[in-house]
Amino acid sequence: MVREAVTRLRNREISALFRILLLLAAIVSTSCATPGNDGATMILALEGEPATLTAHLSSDLPAVMIASNLFNGLIGYDFDFNPTPDLADSWEVSPDGLRYVFHLNREARWHDGKPVTAEDVAFTFNDVLAKVHPRARRWWSNVVSAEAESEHRFVITLKEPFAPFLTLLGNRLGSGTLILPKHIYEGTDPRTNPANREPVGSGPFKFAAWQPGSFIALERNNDYFKPGLPHLDRLVFQIVPDASTRLLAFERGEIDFLHAYIVPYEAVDRLREDGRFRVVERGLEAAATNENLLFNLRHQKLQDGRVRRALAYAIDRKAIIEGALFGLGRVAHSHINSGLGWVHAGDFDDYRTRDVSKAEALLDAAGFERGTDRVRFGLRLTHDAGKDTERRAAAIIRDNLREVGIEVTIEPFDRPTYIERTFRGWDFDMALQNFVTGPDPALSVSTRYHSKQIRKAPFINAMGYANVEVDGLMDADMSELDRGQRVAMWERIQQILMKELPALPLFEYPTLNLVSAGLEHVVTTPNGYLQSRELARVR
Amino acid sequence: MSSETAFGTRLLAYSARRLAQAVPLVLVVVIINFFLIHAAPGDPVDMLLGGMDTDPEFQAQMRRELGLDQPLWVQLWTYVSNMARLDLGYSFRFRQDVGALIMSRLPASLLLMGTSFVISVSFGILLGVVAAYRAGGLLERLLTGLTLSGYSMPVFWLGQLMLLVFAVGLGWFPIQGMVSLRTTSVGFDRVIDVAHHLALPALTYSVYQLTLIYRLTRVKMRETLSREFVKSARARGLSELRVVFRHAFPNAMLPVVTVMGLHVGHMLAGSVLTETVFAWPGLGRLMYEAIGARDFPLLLGLFTCISVAVIVANVVTDVIYAFIDPRVVYS
Repeated sequence: MVREAVTRLRNREISALFRILLLLAAIVSTSCATPGNDGATMILALEGEPATLTAHLSSDLPAVMIASNLFNGLIGYDFDFNPTPDLADSWEVSPDGLRYVFHLNREARWHDGKPVTAEDVAFTFNDVLAKVHPRARRWWSNVVSAEAESEHRFVITLKEPFAPFLTLLGNRLGSGTLILPKHIYEGTDPRTNPANREPVGSGPFKFAAWQPGSFIALERNNDYFKPGLPHLDRLVFQIVPDASTRLLAFERGEIDFLHAYIVPYEAVDRLREDGRFRVVERGLEAAATNENLLFNLRHQKLQDGRVRRALAYAIDRKAIIEGALFGLGRVAHSHINSGLGWVHAGDFDDYRTRDVSKAEALLDAAGFERGTDRVRFGLRLTHDAGKDTERRAAAIIRDNLREVGIEVTIEPFDRPTYIERTFRGWDFDMALQNFVTGPDPALSVSTRYHSKQIRKAPFINAMGYANVEVDGLMDADMSELDRGQRVAMWERIQQILMKELPALPLFEYPTLNLVSAGLEHVVTTPNGYLQSRELARVR
Repeated sequence: MSSETAFGTRLLAYSARRLAQAVPLVLVVVIINFFLIHAAPGDPVDMLLGGMDTDPEFQAQMRRELGLDQPLWVQLWTYVSNMARLDLGYSFRFRQDVGALIMSRLPASLLLMGTSFVISVSFGILLGVVAAYRAGGLLERLLTGLTLSGYSMPVFWLGQLMLLVFAVGLGWFPIQGMVSLRTTSVGFDRVIDVAHHLALPALTYSVYQLTLIYRLTRVKMRETLSREFVKSARARGLSELRVVFRHAFPNAMLPVVTVMGLHVGHMLAGSVLTETVFAWPGLGRLMYEAIGARDFPLLLGLFTCISVAVIVANVVTDVIYAFIDPRVVYS
């Protein structure tokens, strides 16, 4: 009787198992039937979900990545940072650098069919950017007026000449200068307008769907004002928060594009050999991002320039490239990234070769000799725990500094805590932090090292660095329109910064994007990681 | 008939009372969560504005708009009184009503949790009973060894392993997401497509629960099978199936039901890793993003929902108890 029951049990188990297997087989077979790529869809990975699909509320990277396909700016810029047409076909700048006239394209239409006019542009500047964009005030205070002089003629007048103004207008990230439709936003609160989540733009793609937490789909704008563009039918931005999963999905062909900030460095060499993928080595020049070791100049040991120079000699930046970036990227020889070729000056880096004895001598001279336990002193090294590259770099720095008698305690914090401690509390000795140095140093380098930027706010002069000459040069540079003059001023600034080292530039982030081999013209500007994909096409 | 109706009424009244008692409990939970969240270092405005060098005036304005300039007690009062009107507030990060935001992610979460729950309960119990019945046999030892490793495996590692074997290696399943994005499907094709994407995360997510239920069922079943009443049932000549499933099984299930009830809360909170590895758009990831952005209203809303779910699960567990165990009387 027992045996009989067991047999029955077994039969049941087996039939249940069999049914499950059948179901699995059905699922698997349907999946194999679906084609890999229909040829005109590009799937881009996002590391997090955007809050809105517009660029006027924050410099949230995923939001700007999507918005730059839905909207247009007045202008863009090329790899030499010369302005290129977008909504504006042409423009003129008065010789005194105060009056900018833009002639808009007459064919441009909003996705609902209404024409794009200078009124929309004026509205975007006066009623949206000036009021709600977190960074616009910095330059808006220099604007006298922004007006529509006729239907297709927009004029902006400045108080003082402002060297990087066109670059700023062409920059998608940080200045929010994508033009919004007046008829949708007028009379509403631009922060809560429902169009922020279902935008009506003028760009090459139209909003199609947003599956919360999963993906955002855009479809081709068949009435786009640039003839023949865009080439693709659909863009899908898929949210994949985990780095390993992103890589697997990319390799499986589920994703076509991993932008420069989320490229898994450890896999690049392997993927380079694989014909299914292409490594596109440009597109981060506008961000021109450097990793820095910030020094808190209020620290009793670190306020001594000899100590900071000793650290620069002791830290093996080439080893960081090998160990933390898997041989990608470059050692940063200046506080301006070499992607900004016209202004970067790398000749002032005296610390190119690691020199432990020089470091020891400088530390001895500063009066911090080794104690009985061979240790001179201890320092804390703070970083954002979410960044693997920084975690690896921190370990190398700790080992390097131990050799010269400095005991480093690594303090990783989650991002909000890290920002609060470092930039609001100034509670750090050394901190690992990446600084964008483009698209123009006046916009992104002056903001870090000018003494008026010693404020308790994120990503500015937490070091407490103040140098009268540097301040003066940076102030003069703002309104200097002659590029030659600017280059000379920036050369001097870079020289001083490399000598005084309020921060040690460690490395330049690798300019790499990963793209499926089936697509081309994906990265066509120095903002390749977030640019419009209007030129992208199937190979 | 009438006694059954009375039983039903009593049960209903009992559940209603238990839920009513839960209201002050939820309130206490909300207050504790509120202070915990605000005690964490990090500034939501910094996280919101992100970039460098925002105007200090603008930051102050933003803080005013979000109500963050108010004293903590005032903020708490505003929150609790809004909650009394079922208004969970406005997410800083996502610029949306917290209620709507949670509802938009709930279906994906329920699908993942529900599927995993069904897998882990059915297979956990089935295997547990079989193993207990064949106590000491090869099958039991094999299952116990397997479940021990399943129990101790970290979810993200198991997830990666599943991906490598079943998605990359064998190519049976997609890597991530909830639907295929290259093609759009509708109707039954859509269901199959979602099921196809669901398989790996649901399996991964169910392993821990499954092993837990398996081990508990096995132990309790073995214990019950050696009890006097089972022996007497066998002595009366009842069929083996009847002995196992009618006499031993309900008795062994009581502690298992308790544990399953307790785990509903864990499931909601513990889905972060599975959802992250498989890019599944559920509540766990929403919570993770809310923590990263210091999105106080969203975090509080999620915590409140989780505590309510735990309380409801407890009441449901008690009710199920009443059905399984005739000795339990609720008055």
